[in-house]
Amino acid sequence: MGRVLPRARADTQTRTAPRFSYKTTAYLFVLPYLIFFLAFRLGPALVGLGMAFTNWRIVGQPDWVGFSNFEAMTRDTRFLDALRNTAVFTVLTVPLLIIVGLALAIFMNQPRRGRTIGRVAVFIPYVLMSTVVGVLWTWMLERDFGLVNSYLKYLGIAPVPWLLNENVALYGIILTTIWWTVGYSMVLFLAGLQDIPEELYEAARIDGASPWALFRFVTIPLLSPTIFLVALLSIINSFQVFDQAYVMTSGGPGTSTLTLVQYVYTAAFQFSRMGYGAAIAVVLFVILIAIALIQARSYRRGLTGTMQ
Amino acid sequence: MKAQNTIQTIAWYITLIIIVVLMLAPILWMISTSLKPELDILSNEIHWIPERFTLENYQKVLDAHPILRWTWNSLFVAGVATLLTVTLDALAGYAFARMDFRGRDILFAIIVSMLFVPLQITVVPLFLAFAKMEITDTYLALILPIGANVTGVFLMRQFFLGIPSDLEDAARVDGASALRIWWSVVLPLARPALTTVAILTFLSTWNSFFWPLIATRSDAVRTLPVGIAQFLSVRPGLTQNVQAYGMSMAGAALAALPPIILFIILQRNFIKGISMTGLKG
Repeated sequence: MGRVLPRARADTQTRTAPRFSYKTTAYLFVLPYLIFFLAFRLGPALVGLGMAFTNWRIVGQPDWVGFSNFEAMTRDTRFLDALRNTAVFTVLTVPLLIIVGLALAIFMNQPRRGRTIGRVAVFIPYVLMSTVVGVLWTWMLERDFGLVNSYLKYLGIAPVPWLLNENVALYGIILTTIWWTVGYSMVLFLAGLQDIPEELYEAARIDGASPWALFRFVTIPLLSPTIFLVALLSIINSFQVFDQAYVMTSGGPGTSTLTLVQYVYTAAFQFSRMGYGAAIAVVLFVILIAIALIQARSYRRGLTGTMQ
Repeated sequence: MKAQNTIQTIAWYITLIIIVVLMLAPILWMISTSLKPELDILSNEIHWIPERFTLENYQKVLDAHPILRWTWNSLFVAGVATLLTVTLDALAGYAFARMDFRGRDILFAIIVSMLFVPLQITVVPLFLAFAKMEITDTYLALILPIGANVTGVFLMRQFFLGIPSDLEDAARVDGASALRIWWSVVLPLARPALTTVAILTFLSTWNSFFWPLIATRSDAVRTLPVGIAQFLSVRPGLTQNVQAYGMSMAGAALAALPPIILFIILQRNFIKGISMTGLKG
């Protein structure tokens, strides 16, 4: 609609007000969702935020305790273990998902026979439920008869006590997670690769660029939005890791695979320390927001960098 | 040149086969294990094809666990939650895209900002509120929170912003009410967006684990993911060797095969949809 037209139209009266003038109708459209949103999302989130500053338990009157839940965390070795495990899990899982996912996408993007079968095979684990994956890999990583150790034995390598040993249990869960979700990052990278115009590669090839130069100076720069997307999505998912770890180890042995979300669950629903559990969830929230902000900033900087 | 091409082709096939085998091996091993008698499972030899076939693991797991009940619970909860979400989101998304009302933009900004708030923060208050209302361990407890989902409203609004409003304007000139226009003009146009929101909601509800684990106690309400998590309830470090792996693999295979088959049939649309929503989200 041009800016001059409404005045000309105003006296012809062929047109009612643009869009809906009756405001009540609009509220009737929004209200049903809004009730759900307030009751089950915004409301509980605000209450959760408030609870983090109380000593809420199932029984008895909760009291405001200020920041003492957060102070207690700095001395709580279980919390510190959970924070460290979650960070280690993220730091190892995210780059692996990006590197392996990108390698698979570049491989499966070649115009050759059988690539559809390859893509489907890589993606299939992702359609499984988290707990199916957890149960399946508990058996895969079983110490004496699991498939992974059986093949290691064939190769003359000593069996690894995957889920039974504090030093390796987290790696068992990381391996499981990569197998389960790498298909998703491959699909996102495939979509990104297909948006790169073929002419760019042809032009670079005519200029005598090597395959490595093509990858380094054409693929990577043009794929950087997708790389940022995959990084952001997998960082957020990794920080909230719970399902497969719950099934495979429930945080054990000891606290070696205890994660932040697992500790929210344990504190709130097994130890009935609702206030403390809510406070751990708030810490998780602050971490996720910080990561999103850092990512948004570096992404913008990256964009202007390529423009200059 | 030709020799180089042949070498490249062979390398392609070898790499492809290695990737396919590595990715599918765990699933094939699950099926293989599920078809072996419990005695043959804990073996030092690797037998991909069972030496003795049996279906007794399937019989046992179906006897020991109400898998069909869990599946029905999951289907019911995901189905009702999807209907609810699609209705709420199509109404609200339309209003946010097309109608002027006070506070619209602030309201929408608040809604979208909740995308960054992890669900775990809402879980403790939700559980306490539901416990007070005595609706934990009911379908209601599993369905209601899904209606507050943010992605669907966002996608619906984006969709309505992207289509021209000519048809709606014409219907309005003819004197149709807002609800009438929404129902008989807008919704038929919005079928692609409705389908996307429906599929996303169904899948995320079907797969969700954290909230159903907290909110359910009995098999009458328990969903499939929560049920399956009980298969290997004996923790590693205790007596891992005596666990019923054959039975667990049979149950896991029962839960795994329908989505895998569905995915193989629909894979073209499925992968396209995922990459679209992924890039838009």
